[in-house]
Amino acid sequence: MNCLEFRRAAGADPHRLSTDAIAHRDACPQCVAHLRQLLAMDATIRKALQITVPPGRKAGDIAPRAPAVAAAVFANPRRWYALAASILGGVLVGVVLWASGPRNALARDVLGHIAHEPESLVVTQVPADAERVREVLARDGVRLRSNMGLVSYVMSCSFRGHEVPHLVVQTAGGPVTVLVLRDEPATRAMKFHEQGYVGTIEPAGPGSIAVIGGSAAQVQEAAERVEAAIEWITP
Amino acid sequence: MNAPFAGKDGETAFARLCEELRPDLFRFAFWLARDRQVAEDVVQEAMLRAWRSRESLDETASAKQWLLTIVRREHARLYERKRFKTVQLDELVSDESPELAMAEEREVLDMRRAIFALDDDYREPLVMQVLMGFSTDEIARQLGLTQGAVLTRLFRARQRLRRDFGVTGSAEDDES
Repeated sequence: MNCLEFRRAAGADPHRLSTDAIAHRDACPQCVAHLRQLLAMDATIRKALQITVPPGRKAGDIAPRAPAVAAAVFANPRRWYALAASILGGVLVGVVLWASGPRNALARDVLGHIAHEPESLVVTQVPADAERVREVLARDGVRLRSNMGLVSYVMSCSFRGHEVPHLVVQTAGGPVTVLVLRDEPATRAMKFHEQGYVGTIEPAGPGSIAVIGGSAAQVQEAAERVEAAIEWITP
Repeated sequence: MNAPFAGKDGETAFARLCEELRPDLFRFAFWLARDRQVAEDVVQEAMLRAWRSRESLDETASAKQWLLTIVRREHARLYERKRFKTVQLDELVSDESPELAMAEEREVLDMRRAIFALDDDYREPLVMQVLMGFSTDEIARQLGLTQGAVLTRLFRARQRLRRDFGVTGSAEDDES
C-alpha cells in the first residue's frame, strides 16, 4: 500500500484500518500525522453531530395513546383494570429504578457516552499528542505525575453538563476508555458488566474515574495505571 | 421463530430499547431532514410503527439497524406526502440557526455548519458511520449501495470538511 492508497482508506474510515493500512501507517511518519489529523477531525465531527435531543414520548407510551388503541381500551371496562394494573406496574418499575438510583444511572451514562466513541475499540500503537493529554487533564485540575503508558486518544468531552477528560489507554489486552469525573463523587468502587463492556467507577480525588474495557483484567490494569499517574491539583 | 419482544416482558424490553436508541435516532433524523420539527415527527411516527411491528423483530442485536431503516423510510414517506417546497441552504441554516449555534466550542459550531451544508449523499453515510457507529458494509446495505460507493462518499465527505476547515492535504489527498 502506498501513501495515496492509505489516505483514501483512512479518509473513508480512519477507525477501521486494514492490516495493509496499519503496516503502511507504522512505516510512514507522514501518514501517521495525516491519520492523527483525521482522527482529531472525526472527534469534532462526532461532537458536532450530537445535537440536543428533546424529551419525547417512549414507544411504550405511544401505543396506548394511539387513537385506535385508546378507543379499544376505553370501550371495554375490563380493560380499565388492565390499564390500572399497567399504571401500577409502571409506578412500581419507577420506584425500583429510583431506588436503584444514580450509581446505575452513572454507569449507563458512561456507557452511553462511549458508545459514541469508536476510538475505544481501536487497537493502536499511535500515541496521542502528549501535550494535548496534559492540557485536557489540566483543564479538569489534574496533573500527570508519572507516565500512564500509551494513551492513544484524548478529548475534552461534554458529560452530564461538565467538560471531562476522555482518554483511551492501550493495555496488553486492548484499548480501555477512561473518563475522569471530577463532579461525580463515589464513596466506593462500583463494578458493572453491561452491553459487552466491563467497567468500574472508582473513587478518585474529589470525584471518580470511570474505566471501561473488554475484560476485567484490562480494566484493572488501566485503572491502576491511571490512578497511579494522576494527581488532583485543585480540590 | 425467536421473538424477544413478544408478550408483556417483550413490551417492557422494547420500550427500554427504544428509549436507549431514541437520542441517536432523533439525531440521525435531524441530520437527514435538517429540520428539528420534521425530525421529531419522523421519530415519533417511526417509534409508533416499530411498536406495532415489534413482534416481527427476531433478534435484539439487529434492533438498531431495524429502527434506523424505519426512520429512513418514515422520512422518505413524510417527504413524499408533504412534498416540501425546495428550500435554499441559507434558509435552512437560518431556520435551524439556534440548533446549529448550540455548541460550546467554536470549532464544533463551525463543524456543525459544515456538515449541515454537505450534500445529502455525503452527509447521510457520514452520520451513519460517525454517529451511529455502523461499518461501511452495514451502511452499504442500508443505502443499497456497493461498499466501494460508500467508501468513496465517506472519503469525499471528509475531504470536503477538511477543505472547509482549511486543512490542506498534499496533492495525493486532493483528488476528487
